[in-house]
Amino acid sequence: MIYPMKLTVNDELIELEVPAHRTLLEVLRNDLGLKGTKEGCGAGECGACTVLLDDEPVNACLILALQADGKRVTTIEGLSKGSNLHAIQEAFIRHGAIQCGFCTPGMILSAKALLERTPNPTEKEVRRSLVGNFCRCTGYQKIVEAILSLAKRGDG
Amino acid sequence: MGNYSMIGHSVPQIDARDKVRGMTEFVSDLQLPGMLYGKILRSSYPHARILHIDSSKARRLKGVKAVVTAEDTPRVPFGPRTEDWTILAVDKVRFVGDEVAAVAAVDEETAEEALDLIRVEYEELPAVFDPIEAMQPGAPLIHGKERNIVSEFQLNKGDIERAFQECAVVYSAHYFTNQVYQAYLEPMACVVQCDPSGRLTFYLATQIPSMTRITYAKALGLPLEKIRVVVPPYGGAFGAKMETNLHLAGAILSQKTQKPVRMVNNREEDFMAGNPRVPMYIDLKVGASQQGKLIAKEVKIIGASGARAVYSMAIVATACYRVDSLYRFEHLRTEGVTVYTNTVPTSCFRGFGNAQMTFALESTLDMIAEALKMDPAELRIKNGLKTGEVSIHGWQIGSSGLEECVQKAVEASGWKRKREEKRFGHGIGLACCNHVSGNRAFSREFDGGAGIVRIGREGKVLVYHGESDMGQGQKTVFAQIVAEELGVGLDRIEVAQVDTDLSPFGMGSFATRGTVFGGNGVKAAARHAKEQLCEIAAELFETVPSQLELREGKISVIGEPERSLSFEKVVEIGVLRRGGAPIVGTGFWVPDTVLPDPITKYGNISPAYPFACQIAEVEVDTETGHVTVLQYTAAHDVGKAVNPMAIEGQIEGGVVQGIGWALMENMVVEKGKVLNPDFRDYVMPGPLDIPPIHSFLVEPVDPNGPFGAKGIGEPALNPSTAAVANAIYDAIGIRFTELPITPEKILRALKDHQKNK
Repeated sequence: MIYPMKLTVNDELIELEVPAHRTLLEVLRNDLGLKGTKEGCGAGECGACTVLLDDEPVNACLILALQADGKRVTTIEGLSKGSNLHAIQEAFIRHGAIQCGFCTPGMILSAKALLERTPNPTEKEVRRSLVGNFCRCTGYQKIVEAILSLAKRGDG
Repeated sequence: MGNYSMIGHSVPQIDARDKVRGMTEFVSDLQLPGMLYGKILRSSYPHARILHIDSSKARRLKGVKAVVTAEDTPRVPFGPRTEDWTILAVDKVRFVGDEVAAVAAVDEETAEEALDLIRVEYEELPAVFDPIEAMQPGAPLIHGKERNIVSEFQLNKGDIERAFQECAVVYSAHYFTNQVYQAYLEPMACVVQCDPSGRLTFYLATQIPSMTRITYAKALGLPLEKIRVVVPPYGGAFGAKMETNLHLAGAILSQKTQKPVRMVNNREEDFMAGNPRVPMYIDLKVGASQQGKLIAKEVKIIGASGARAVYSMAIVATACYRVDSLYRFEHLRTEGVTVYTNTVPTSCFRGFGNAQMTFALESTLDMIAEALKMDPAELRIKNGLKTGEVSIHGWQIGSSGLEECVQKAVEASGWKRKREEKRFGHGIGLACCNHVSGNRAFSREFDGGAGIVRIGREGKVLVYHGESDMGQGQKTVFAQIVAEELGVGLDRIEVAQVDTDLSPFGMGSFATRGTVFGGNGVKAAARHAKEQLCEIAAELFETVPSQLELREGKISVIGEPERSLSFEKVVEIGVLRRGGAPIVGTGFWVPDTVLPDPITKYGNISPAYPFACQIAEVEVDTETGHVTVLQYTAAHDVGKAVNPMAIEGQIEGGVVQGIGWALMENMVVEKGKVLNPDFRDYVMPGPLDIPPIHSFLVEPVDPNGPFGAKGIGEPALNPSTAAVANAIYDAIGIRFTELPITPEKILRALKDHQKNK
């Protein structure tokens, strides 16, 4: 069965028809061509497909597209405006938090969700927020440093 | 020396802006017009005869464009080292995951559905999974080779029996290093396109583009020029991404359908048919004098190659003798055997055998230090090779920062104080390693690196190399080297993706060789371009080329800064005067390495040898057996650091992989089947499982590396398992000789330990 649905992706309202079993990841990558969202395991374990669904990080490979009907999706492509990068993207570059880059989109979106929820996280909180995002290249250290560099200090 | 504008500066990867925006197109993102999706039918038996394959139903499924079996392939045996591969199984399957048939369809879902419709009739054969059992007379033969032996390695020096008799301390132990998975985030992938002339373009995630091309030409029965390999960005490799039948199945499907075909392993397939680490049994006996001089080493290694040899025999050989050039052993007895088993073929994983042996040797050295009542750090310094020494196997150590690595790590970690403050459950351990920057023994044909630098009228510098950036930042290092030579900013440099139609023949990225070989290659090319620019400018300034310098984007007469032109102006004038021809610099670098003698192994296998010392501090919870790594110190001799931030990233990533291997990672294989082929059950360190890692770079300028640089990839991991094991020994007094050291093993050992008290 094919169902109509609406999705706001990176501030753009999109109407499309999808089969019931199609995942949000497949819709983003194959139907909408948003390939910044990666597939690393297809089982919700690696976090490479992390997107924000109404500002909450989710594994797009575990969510059926229809479950996202009427919701707002932010993918990595929605983070930068033209050539202006988001502060988290800048921090990742500056701190060398990127190696192969396959986990990077998901990492950045998880970091965004964390910093919106907790603008001044501790190192432990940063590490805890990344538990669902695997990185095999960096050993996480520079990713943690990049995110901590954005913590809004001085508010107690 | 040392006043560099680019070398030694921490710069982000040149493609980082694309990566953070999700704009980088990885191999599994590629989409070509008319592209089909391929999937492989894999054996579910570890060893079985194929009696019949019926693919008629699969062929009839709507959306299926081709179903192929061995009948559709050349059936030529091939392989990177031993010719024990076929593209698809001929007559029998040899491991769970072996490639039996392949399907191309309009989408992945249809291709998967078609796999379910293929009927294969098997006759199960007796199988063997452990290399020691596989060597026994009467064991089932996997490739018809006697006792399933792929190859044997022997190397003896001095008089081992007498030497052991004269040693004050001798320690022997039986070690086991288990099978672990590289777990790069992007599974193995490719797109293959067959053009109407029959020429195949492979878009591959491969560390060895040019060598892959040679192997695939043979497998497909095609002349070399009919194969082009292009390497788009890909998501990590750590040794695993070399030749794979996934690529070749894609080629057969593309030939059949005349369409581009994309093949991507799902994660389970990548576990069961990837290229995990060679598991090894290591019997090691080491003897030392009362003064702590290491004298004799006897080792016997049995390694399991799995169902195809791939590079396993070279990995076992490396395990057998690389460490002999870390310390000054005088007497050696060495035996290595590589054995087929009915398990997934094993191969390269960061460390290439040296990681396995370093675990055994560095664990052993701690026991020797204890017996001698000597500081383990002192034992290493006393025996470690120094700059200018020649090792027992002829390795010429052009630079060694080993001693300084040990000193730095000892100082920074609080080693001395922490060793003295004994508290049960808390410990600190140290391990060292050596490695190579490129391995002469890997290819008998040649050794070297090459590059091409093309500067067009607009002044943009395009760098071609034949290695492979698997995500480690190699392209950025090459860009820095070229920018340094040409005196321009990084914004002027682009590094082309490897394309065998355009790029130099490169051996590729393995053996920690990228920086030294590729780096020297592109450096020579940049220098050649620079010479041409200087000739053009010399004419303009009416001087001689030797009177010119390239700095800060300008070409100037030395000592007369007012006589200067911008880099792009000189390029433009030169290109226009030459009828539009770009400035093309080509260059190569052939090191003074010596191919090891086939019998004695005497030679000089690498132009530059990196060293390291790592120190782990752990807390062992004696109630649960859980080990927490509290602090980690890693001091690495990297020669001149081209990009310190990138090197730290390599060290941090390598250490975390090493901690994972030491404490948790394990492919659980039962009757040839991987029982944990996913990230839920294959446990790896996450961000909460690891301590802060303090990296220190020791930078002796190496005489052969570009600007004095050496490699870093593999040494980052080599000593980590032993450092952790030694720290656990320091904490609870129990020596673990089998990886990984899990909480269950620790609890069991603590219990046994108490019983024996």
